[in-house]
Amino acid sequence: MPPRVTFQPRGWQRSQETPLSSEYDFVLVNIGRLEAVSGLSRVQLLRPGSPLKFTPEEILIHGRDFRLLRVAFEAGGLEPQAFQVTMAIVRARAQSSQAQQYAGISLSKAGQSSGPRKPPVPLLETSEDWETERKKQGAGSWRVSPVNERFDVATSLPRYFWVPKRTLDSEVRRAFGHFHQGRGPRLSWHHPGGSDLLRCGGFYTASDPNKEDIRAVESMLQAGHSDVVLVDTVDELPSLTDVQLAHLKLRALCLPDSSAAEEKWLSALEGTRWLDYVRSCLRKASDISVLVTSRVRSVVLQERGDRDFNGLLSSLVQLLSAPEARTLLGFQSLVQREWVAAGHPFLTRLGVTGASEEAPVFLLFLDCVWQLLQQFPAEFEFSEFFLLALHDSARVPDTLTFLRDTPWERAKQSGQFNSYTQIYTAGYSQLPAGNSVNPQLSVWDWDLRYSSEQILQFHNPGYDPEHCPDSWLPRQQPNFMVSGPPSSVWLFSRGALTPLNQLCPWRDSPSLLAVSSRWLPRPAISSESLADQEWGLPSHWGACPLPPGLLLPGYLGPQIRLWRRCYLRGRPEVQKGLSAPTISGLQDELSHLQELLRKWTPRISPEDHSEKRDPNTIVSQSR
Amino acid sequence: MLGKGVVGGGGGTKAPKPSFVSYVRPEEIHTNEKEVTEKEVTLHLLPGEQLLCEASTVLKYVQEDSCQRGIYGKLVCTDFKIAFLGDDESALDNDETQFKNKVIGENDITLHCVDQIYGVFDEKKKPLFGQLKKYPEKLIIHCKDLRVFHFGLRYTKEEEVKRIVSGIIHHTQAPKLLKRLFLFSYASAAQNNTATDPKNHTVMFDTLKDWCWELERTKGNVKYKAVSVNEGYKVGERLPAFFVVPTPLPEEDVRCFQGRGIPIWCWSCHNGCALLKMSALPKEQDDGLLQVQKSFLDGIYKTIHRPPYEIVKTEDLSSNFLSLQDIQTAYSKFKQLFLIDNSTEFWDTDIKWFSLLESSSWLDIIRRCLKKAIEITECLEAQNMNVLLLEENASDLCCLLSSLVQVMMDPHCRTRVGFQSLVQKEWIMGGHCFLDRCNHLRQSDKEEVPVFLLFLDCVWQLVHQHPPAFDFTETYLTVLSDSLYLPIFSTFFFNSPHQKYINMHQRQLSLPLTQSKSSPKRGFFREETDHLIKNLLGRRISKLINSSDELQDNFREFYESWHSKPTDYHGLLLPHIEGPEIKVWAQRYLRWIPEAQILGGGRVATMSKLLEMMEEVEHLQEKIDERHHSQGALLAEAPPLLRSSARLSSLFPFALLQRHSSKPVLPTSGWKALGDEDDLAKREDEFVDLGDV
Repeated sequence: MPPRVTFQPRGWQRSQETPLSSEYDFVLVNIGRLEAVSGLSRVQLLRPGSPLKFTPEEILIHGRDFRLLRVAFEAGGLEPQAFQVTMAIVRARAQSSQAQQYAGISLSKAGQSSGPRKPPVPLLETSEDWETERKKQGAGSWRVSPVNERFDVATSLPRYFWVPKRTLDSEVRRAFGHFHQGRGPRLSWHHPGGSDLLRCGGFYTASDPNKEDIRAVESMLQAGHSDVVLVDTVDELPSLTDVQLAHLKLRALCLPDSSAAEEKWLSALEGTRWLDYVRSCLRKASDISVLVTSRVRSVVLQERGDRDFNGLLSSLVQLLSAPEARTLLGFQSLVQREWVAAGHPFLTRLGVTGASEEAPVFLLFLDCVWQLLQQFPAEFEFSEFFLLALHDSARVPDTLTFLRDTPWERAKQSGQFNSYTQIYTAGYSQLPAGNSVNPQLSVWDWDLRYSSEQILQFHNPGYDPEHCPDSWLPRQQPNFMVSGPPSSVWLFSRGALTPLNQLCPWRDSPSLLAVSSRWLPRPAISSESLADQEWGLPSHWGACPLPPGLLLPGYLGPQIRLWRRCYLRGRPEVQKGLSAPTISGLQDELSHLQELLRKWTPRISPEDHSEKRDPNTIVSQSR
Repeated sequence: MLGKGVVGGGGGTKAPKPSFVSYVRPEEIHTNEKEVTEKEVTLHLLPGEQLLCEASTVLKYVQEDSCQRGIYGKLVCTDFKIAFLGDDESALDNDETQFKNKVIGENDITLHCVDQIYGVFDEKKKPLFGQLKKYPEKLIIHCKDLRVFHFGLRYTKEEEVKRIVSGIIHHTQAPKLLKRLFLFSYASAAQNNTATDPKNHTVMFDTLKDWCWELERTKGNVKYKAVSVNEGYKVGERLPAFFVVPTPLPEEDVRCFQGRGIPIWCWSCHNGCALLKMSALPKEQDDGLLQVQKSFLDGIYKTIHRPPYEIVKTEDLSSNFLSLQDIQTAYSKFKQLFLIDNSTEFWDTDIKWFSLLESSSWLDIIRRCLKKAIEITECLEAQNMNVLLLEENASDLCCLLSSLVQVMMDPHCRTRVGFQSLVQKEWIMGGHCFLDRCNHLRQSDKEEVPVFLLFLDCVWQLVHQHPPAFDFTETYLTVLSDSLYLPIFSTFFFNSPHQKYINMHQRQLSLPLTQSKSSPKRGFFREETDHLIKNLLGRRISKLINSSDELQDNFREFYESWHSKPTDYHGLLLPHIEGPEIKVWAQRYLRWIPEAQILGGGRVATMSKLLEMMEEVEHLQEKIDERHHSQGALLAEAPPLLRSSARLSSLFPFALLQRHSSKPVLPTSGWKALGDEDDLAKREDEFVDLGDV
């Protein structure tokens, strides 16, 4: 177990079923602020290593996950212990921040399980996983490339990814070299209508590609489509610093001792800008979904690092457009693919390493998902509680999932990757050695940390799977596999499309694209979102030509809400179990009745004569 | 019925003024007219409703579209409503029409629902009132239910424009007499409609029996009695004919000051404590009269304050609480957030949404009302004290707080019938001046204060926070708030039961209605705190009640301990009142703004799932019962689930009313350039023209 502070109420025993966590646990890295209080006036903020100036009557532990633990030491002779305990926590925090990252669990429970455990969610560490997923998406013109099997293309990329079928591995290697940190274009999601969602890093402008390289890059970006829309991911989205600052402000606002007056609360909330950032993410994702699904255009998300907002946008787009991604399994696979395998630097971004580039992009993503859950309560199989559990898991690094910055580090730690250790590791040299982690455990092994009742709550009782069509209506698609140059390339920015002359920035030769004089860039000013333009709102009221399965989120001021159950947890007035009791009660009744009927049905067969008495007993039992 | 002749006259007969420049091609006018003629839209008139004026070839703009598109039709004004005829209503599916309002169509505005009228002159928007010298090219109507209509008059004949604009302004803005209310013409024309539904058990509180029943229900009959001293309104016109007072109170006391200065019972708590209200005595300068008042109040006070058995706490609402002015100012700022003329305006305010919302302080006023109601509840429930609400006329904040406390403490008031009875008891019989507060007669804008709406918004907060505790939904509250402006029901169109009695029952005698009688002026907005009462009672009470700090502590403790326990939906119900918990009643305020809708989402999605499941449960239950009762009988096929295949909008059921013509509004921006996938194939050998679309 990771080092933690635990409060043990009298008579309380750690549940054997969920050995990894309890509501009284505070993992050290989760401690955002530690305060000692004596009397009404003496308050000391305890930084790691700072000496305690008085014997505390009370200590307050503020969690980075918005929880608050408040421990009071009773007056009757507890003073020495109070001092000792507090100092111990201070010292432990100091040590844990100096020491290497916590290396993960070596858990007895997991060890006991005999034989290889099948992970609950495909971890995408083998090429079979990728192949299965590719087939599931029906991405026929794509293949799994093992070019990064030894992490020699990029350490931040997974060992396998999807590239166009026609592209050779040598071309992949050649093309990827011209992208920032070797993160070239890869498929994220294939829309059944025929379009693709790709993501890639920024062009490496200093490189000097030859003609063949350019051809390789272009064909990978184009991926066989005649039209390609390039999306500058960070355009109109907050910077990493913005996100971090907003999150810090939000946390300060949501503390129980927050100074914001009740009647000024809303403007203080606005001042954090967190909800504004949520809004811009949703808006952009909604626009891209319209491009991919309704207009059947292939979209390439381009972000310099390709490890933060690309993941956020591509996941949101999939949640909006693909009903499968809204199931419990689908969502977990999505996070595993677009965040974990794609190399989102969890450790750095969540501030576990203490590095300066802390920015909770993943938590911003979870907030966006929560907004969708709020807006579409019948479209998601998982509940708010699941999101909350995931939110907390990010801060409690029990498993490898959120414990590493890159797939390479994860693979190295899990021992999958022993043979090849000589690669260049400039930025990633201080990995802890030894301390074996069970490689098969992932954050998706919920039963290690949550009881079965809690896991039951992960399911949304209001989910209506009928809204999730099994197959898309096959659209009449022209053959996209054109081998020639792309007929049109577009840049999508600020709600408008502008034609681009070429895909890559290096070319100095005349573009292969036929540039018509009529293709002059138009002024790209539009306050309307793509969705509004697409359906000219009034016509999509009621029955409308909205593609089945596509969700158009609301992102107006009144529609973006505060995730109270998450951010206001530290407040005393936070209510418990707000999930409407009626709907789950009804669900229970429903399954009970169905069960009753099922029991009953086989007995209708004429040879069964006991039938006549049964209904009475069954019905009387049920009432 | 409107003749074709009117419509046909639009184009040919008389040429428009020379200065008039038409931007419409002739064939366009032609087709439009033809359409109108062929459709032959009929104006549905209610019994007693009369057509006053009309104008044809009016263009109703699609609100959310900035590119000036719309539907041609006829704009009419009757003595009941302004209506636009021209929308093809037959295009609505049967499915949708079942959610239509039976009285008010999608393009109907009752005259009482009109809030502000603006005219557009040369792209400039100006408020319209009184006599006009110049007539606008566009008419913008802001409604009290927050709809916004834009009517283009550019293609309408000049004399028709004059007639319709001045007609609308006159009938909606000019002061009118009570007897001119449409209510009366409707009531005399549709007499048989008054038969009450026997299933409707709403208690009207217009008989002694009703009050006795309420006393019995709340077990207040030990200490309180229903009196009929004001039968025929002999004592006071502000009092209902029947009401309840403390048992020891002599009936003569009621007569002393026309019912002022006596404690009137509202409701009794399970522990015997009662919620009482009192209106202030008339202000006197004369010392002798003041002395009389003082001794009168002393005597009254002894009947309700008999420690240690009966302790009373007074809440003086006219001095220590919100003023009506505060409420008026806040709401007029607040509603501007939703009365938007076009989508762009909405986008502009979007970034600053929370601070704009906050600066209106409407939500803070809601919070303060809820907080005050919790404080009163704490006194009744935890401290076993009677609470006496004091107000100038005991008919504004008194009504609001006493009914709010009852909604929180009495589960009966959270059923639909119970809630209606509560409104009847506290607001209608309590003499809330609906006529003045809604400004139905347009006699004084100063008196227009949305107190009842504030109450509904407070209840909405409770419904929103504790949906299972209520028999009704937010839609019920929204519809209730709309019926304030629907003058076919008498409920919300009088200032007091006496006024209603005079006008509804004695009309046959055709008594001349003097204006002073029908709308007595009361200066609400001057600082008219009755110091006498405040001093007299205040001094006594200061000994009894705790200091304000302690009061805050009691409140905190009560509030927090209730919230730390699991909620009993059939018991006491308290709202959360912290900053993030008070929300905007989105359904009421945002329902006409298309940008605010979420297709297939919102609470409606859960609700329809819930209904679906309930239907299934019922169906299964039926199946089991059937098997149980008749063995081997063929099972009847289940009735098809009442569900539409289309995804509902989050603004349901209001969104569908707003639906526009079936013609889709085409985008004008470059987005169209990419074309449909149909023409993708065609594009293989041609470049797409991006500039022209």
